[in-house]
Amino acid sequence: MKLSSKEQAGIVILEPRGKIMGGPDASLLHDKLHECIDGNQNRIIIDLAQVDWMNSTGLGILISSYTTLRNNGGHLKLANVTDKIKSLLTITKLVSVFEAFDSVDEAVASFK
Amino acid sequence: MDKPVITGNTIAIPSDVEHLADVDLFIEGILRGWEVDESRIADIAISVSELVNNAICHGNKSTHDKKVSATIDRKGSLIVISVTDEGAGFSPENIENPIADDNLMKEVGRGIFIVKSLMDSVDFELTPTGSKVTIEKGV
Repeated sequence: MKLSSKEQAGIVILEPRGKIMGGPDASLLHDKLHECIDGNQNRIIIDLAQVDWMNSTGLGILISSYTTLRNNGGHLKLANVTDKIKSLLTITKLVSVFEAFDSVDEAVASFK
Repeated sequence: MDKPVITGNTIAIPSDVEHLADVDLFIEGILRGWEVDESRIADIAISVSELVNNAICHGNKSTHDKKVSATIDRKGSLIVISVTDEGAGFSPENIENPIADDNLMKEVGRGIFIVKSLMDSVDFELTPTGSKVTIEKGV
């Protein structure tokens, strides 16, 4: 997995690419999310457009970040959730937890 | 064992999650060679990653010298994959339901549930040397 990030309207947008399966790739995403949180950047969007798939480790990272942000008055939102990940979120009932948008722009607008 | 070893349709790795990607590359490569569609490849790859991760972390308790092996076969339209470790095994019936309200926000505990959801069958077995999980998926 590779990870890049940018800011739009004061909101951090993380752009992982590839597969999130555990090991070094998962640490990369986990560490970046918590770096943002530690830096008081508590409005974060994860753009999943380029993520082929993730497993339960990836879901665990999303939950950890969601909970930490919520406890600090922030929000984690998802954008461009692919069919494969949407299916996993549905199977695990996490679809009821995460706010998901069809585009990054829609996710950014939802913060206003 | 310091690095992955491939023998025919089997890959063996040391118990280190840094080798998850090696197993994935191996399994996905074989599935593409068999012209399995991409959606099923993803389902199988996710499931194998769950089983190998469990074998490394829970089975072998990340003891580097213990190995985890994954073997892939095709029986007609059925893909069969076995993941073995050198651990003491576990009781799948003791796994908590991850979609229960009390467990929904837990960060861990979904792996086997996801495997059961994505695969046609999942079989758990204790062997004289460790544990073995076999999954099957029609393609």
